[in-house]
Amino acid sequence: MNDKTPEFKTFKLKASGLRKSFGGIEVLHGVDITVNGGEVLALLGENGAGKSTAIKILAGDYSRDAGKIEINDQEVQISNPRDSSSLGIKVIYQEFSDAPDLTVAENLVLGSWPKKSSGIVDWRKMQTMAVKNLQTLGVDIDPKTIVDTLGVAQRQVLEITRALAGEAKLLILDEPTSALTTEESDALFELILKLREQGVAIIYITHRLDELERIADRILVFRDGDLVAEGNKEEFDRNDIVTAMVGHALEEKSEKTSDSKVFGTPVLTMKDASSQNHFSQINLDVHEKEIVSLFGRIGCGSLEITSTIFGLQKLDSGSVTINDRKGPPNSPRDAIANYQIGYVPVDRKTQGLLPILTLSENLSVASWPWLTKIGILSRTLVAKVFDKWSPVLDIRAKKGGSQLVETLSGGNQQKVMLGRWLDRKSKLLVMAEPTRGVDVGARAEIYRVLRNFANQGMAVLVASSDIEEVTRISDTIYVLSRGEVVSKYKASEVTQAQLIREAGEDIKTPIA
Amino acid sequence: MSNDQKTEEIKDTVGRVEDTPPASFKLLRRFAESPPEFVLIFALLVLGTIFWQGSPYFLTVLNVRNLLMSVAVLGLMAVPGTFLLISGNFDLSVASTAALSAVTVAMTATDHGAFIGILAALGLGLAVGAINGFLSMYCGIASIIVTLGTMQAIRGVARMSSGGQSHRMNKEIDFITDRVGGIPVQIIIFLVVCLIGIFVARYTQFGRSIFAIGSNPAAARLAGIREKPSLFIMFCLSGLLAALGGLVLASQLNAANPNTATGLELQAVAAILLGGASLKGGRGTMQGTMLGLLILGVLQNGLTLLSISSFWRDIATGTVLIAAVGLDQVRLRLGGAE
Repeated sequence: MNDKTPEFKTFKLKASGLRKSFGGIEVLHGVDITVNGGEVLALLGENGAGKSTAIKILAGDYSRDAGKIEINDQEVQISNPRDSSSLGIKVIYQEFSDAPDLTVAENLVLGSWPKKSSGIVDWRKMQTMAVKNLQTLGVDIDPKTIVDTLGVAQRQVLEITRALAGEAKLLILDEPTSALTTEESDALFELILKLREQGVAIIYITHRLDELERIADRILVFRDGDLVAEGNKEEFDRNDIVTAMVGHALEEKSEKTSDSKVFGTPVLTMKDASSQNHFSQINLDVHEKEIVSLFGRIGCGSLEITSTIFGLQKLDSGSVTINDRKGPPNSPRDAIANYQIGYVPVDRKTQGLLPILTLSENLSVASWPWLTKIGILSRTLVAKVFDKWSPVLDIRAKKGGSQLVETLSGGNQQKVMLGRWLDRKSKLLVMAEPTRGVDVGARAEIYRVLRNFANQGMAVLVASSDIEEVTRISDTIYVLSRGEVVSKYKASEVTQAQLIREAGEDIKTPIA
Repeated sequence: MSNDQKTEEIKDTVGRVEDTPPASFKLLRRFAESPPEFVLIFALLVLGTIFWQGSPYFLTVLNVRNLLMSVAVLGLMAVPGTFLLISGNFDLSVASTAALSAVTVAMTATDHGAFIGILAALGLGLAVGAINGFLSMYCGIASIIVTLGTMQAIRGVARMSSGGQSHRMNKEIDFITDRVGGIPVQIIIFLVVCLIGIFVARYTQFGRSIFAIGSNPAAARLAGIREKPSLFIMFCLSGLLAALGGLVLASQLNAANPNTATGLELQAVAAILLGGASLKGGRGTMQGTMLGLLILGVLQNGLTLLSISSFWRDIATGTVLIAAVGLDQVRLRLGGAE
């Protein structure tokens, strides 16, 4: 790979005026990105800032509405992932795109297997190629290993090796350390710096501010679809970056009911709860009438805490008490029936909605045992569930309760997920990323409903990486990082900037 | 940059289509939005008209009765099969179970009477279903593999217990083929099972749970639905109804052969798929399956009436299956493009 260095060094990608709209709403308002061979460009921004949209345009996953892309001052056409790849642009997403059942060696040549003159796959050559590719990067993985048996970090390194085996000139990494331990992250940084030396251009998307000091050369900050700050790393201190990410709404307080609120009895109590690789020593209380948020970056452990409470994961040590019963529940069914917990999962498409059932059925599914007599599920009672909740939640469905859920908007679908547990009269509602993919209007309604039900006595636990959301709805905020609670605040006594700073810090290697 | 222009042109065309659909698109859209049953009813009417024109006997009471009798056994297998396929599961052992049931009733009823014979046959069917359900739900083996195995094994048991020979009966269970008010009991059984199937699918918690599981297993679990017990029961019912099918077969022939019903399991799957179910699960209706059964029956019956050779009948059946499922895919894709 070293012999190609001169060509790499001259690499320069310049994208200018990138615009993109979804469903009539512009999410990227004409941003410029320039990156040169041999530098690491860090791309920062809150959720929804437009980082991934911009990256997907460069990767050819999205077509842009306006703007142009130049490589070495030549305009290039990127209209699909193949175009992008053949120009040497490789993206490492958080989800892996490898073939888990095949060996490392075969994954490195996937799609272009080396062949003998007879047309038969040349396994020996594949092996030597793999050894060479891995050695160039100083990666210590046996090429004969089945990919599925590798750890997350090794798979990530494999993805990068794959990308480079296909001659990457620009490597884009999307929050690569979110699932890695400190040691694994260190190894990744070393690899990235090595690639930089070889002249590869790198765009590094991250939420972790402490990482910038170690690897970034230049910094770009996006906010709400605009490029709001750009410059060399030396020109920024941490506060500048946070201010740029959050914008002027920085010190704004949220509409809280009252600062001196009285909550009811504790509904959920976690004491020193730990689960192997996901979280450790969690102490947590949620009371009646209280909305508690677990704020942290993706991979901070908050999702695992919520799924443990709902009986999807086991606890290694510590204790959980829910509605005066010792937990965690054995299964979701146990959690619903015996602990009175409702759970809105992070991905409503794959974990929440029942696409071939109707809207009223989706809304009532958790309460079916109550609507059933001698095995027969009463259609009128099911329909009544819709009549009851659609005004409360303002669910907008053209065809009423018999409409298929798939045809509803994201916001309405999420209201269905919420309504399911309101109808089940859950005492503890656990929500993971409650407004992901939900439009602004529906978002406000979901917050309003949550507050209303909390006031009526429900306990709510929210895991969220959305700073706006956390400060807007919570009574109490726990900041999490790498599976541990960093701090706990009353929402009224903390600023967004403070929360972001703490969530971005790596508590195992604090930086002065 | 001619490439650029091309992209612009394509974008333009796409944009216009979205704004004002031309007339030819309207028809396609209507096709895309029509319920899947519409295509099947249409196909049934076309086939019916062709055979009615081709043979004066096609629409006689006698022939309709024959037609229904020919799909009765298949129907008993396809009703629970629809639930299983919607949930992403298969029961390929149904034909072998029917054969075992037929052999069992023929061998026991002659000595111990019809009641014991029927009880033994149905009991064995239920047991086979329970084995299938236990292995696929509680041992983590994919049901297609489990039932592929029991399909072979149960056929072997049927052959072994019968000594590989046909067993004649003395009309002990003839009441299944007798007529009540002009309608053979086997048709009544078939229709009742169909109606129960539709009812369970639409109106019971059990049925809706299976649709929920098929729709999205992870989501169903998170909503508190018990996946394994529901499907275990459905496998048991599948075995039981397959055994009932075996009784019908034995009654029709007044004899039982261990090689009977061979290939019926795939025909049942064909009828279900024809009715709009997906091999991956998550899609399908009981009404669709009924229509699928009727189409297969009409096709077989009509071609026989037109004295077309059985080789051509098989070719026609296969072609219709592929064409119908293919057409449904086109419909879905048109709908999905919205």
